[in-house]
Amino acid sequence: MRFAVIVSFGLGVAALSVTGMVGADPAAGEGVFKANNCGDCHYTQGPAQEKTIGDQMAKKGPELWYAGSKFQQPWLEQWLQDPQPIRHIKYNSVTEENPGDHPKLAAGDAASVTEFLMSLTVAEVEAGVIKPKKSAKGRLIFVKKMPCSGCHEFPGKKFKGGRSGPSLLNAGTRLNPDWIYAYLKNIDTFKPIRMMPNFNGVLTDKDMKGVAQYVANFK
Amino acid sequence: MSKATIVTATVLLTGFLSAVTVQADEAEQLFNFYCAQCHGVGGKGDGPNVTADFPVDPRNFTKADEMEKLSDADIKNVILEGGPVVSKSPMMPPWGKTLSDEQVDALVQYLRKLCNCVGKPG
Repeated sequence: MRFAVIVSFGLGVAALSVTGMVGADPAAGEGVFKANNCGDCHYTQGPAQEKTIGDQMAKKGPELWYAGSKFQQPWLEQWLQDPQPIRHIKYNSVTEENPGDHPKLAAGDAASVTEFLMSLTVAEVEAGVIKPKKSAKGRLIFVKKMPCSGCHEFPGKKFKGGRSGPSLLNAGTRLNPDWIYAYLKNIDTFKPIRMMPNFNGVLTDKDMKGVAQYVANFK
Repeated sequence: MSKATIVTATVLLTGFLSAVTVQADEAEQLFNFYCAQCHGVGGKGDGPNVTADFPVDPRNFTKADEMEKLSDADIKNVILEGGPVVSKSPMMPPWGKTLSDEQVDALVQYLRKLCNCVGKPG
């Protein structure tokens, strides 16, 4: 009995360690991030650095200084091991397809880097505001009233969305629902120069919450 | 005309021309960054978002006969407020909270360059 409990406990700790839940060490993950030259394409020190279109165009990949507020940990850890394209179009391009050549990390490194990235959180994202749901209002805005669907792939029946923005097909497992709302509300804070319009002031706060609920429900 | 006057005039003219050039370059950059995703880099309405199922045909800015029907004020209004302001599709979003007035004016002039036309007085 005692042996079984010890073995079970040991296995549990081992399993948690593999997924990075125990012994979380963002500094070690940062080391792996640097060793893999991830910083060549992604900056992790906020606040946002881009002031001009030229600044944005000089970036090779998305900024990650708020990654811990943006992503869901299980998705991030899995994606780093098998990085399927999130965008149809190459980053910062409107003419080239995404070559899908993001480097892969081994499971241990992916867990470690995930720990680092999930430690990069920002105060602008308030927790527990958005619960995913099939918001009819959110759908109406996303598909018709405002053209979110014009640039973002989504689980539509006939029209499946545009291709210039990140795909939102699995937004419910990839993105933190509260970040979606915070991004709509404070887009200039996260990304001052981007191809997406600022909808704050065009949409009401309630509308932005509805869109966030709707998008967070995409599985 | 004195030599000094000629030099001064040349310097001023050169400065003016280079300022115009910078503005034109900026307008093209603005167009390619914000507008080309739907309207295409050449402005023909064939950006990467326009798949077979795309609900509308984004405007082809090279069609002078259609662009002539719009005043510069009409175009500016659509950029700022979005398609519905002129009873067109909401697929054209409002950029008024994103672009400055000067940037929108530069885009209007760039569209006039693409259509090689002037609009109706507005």
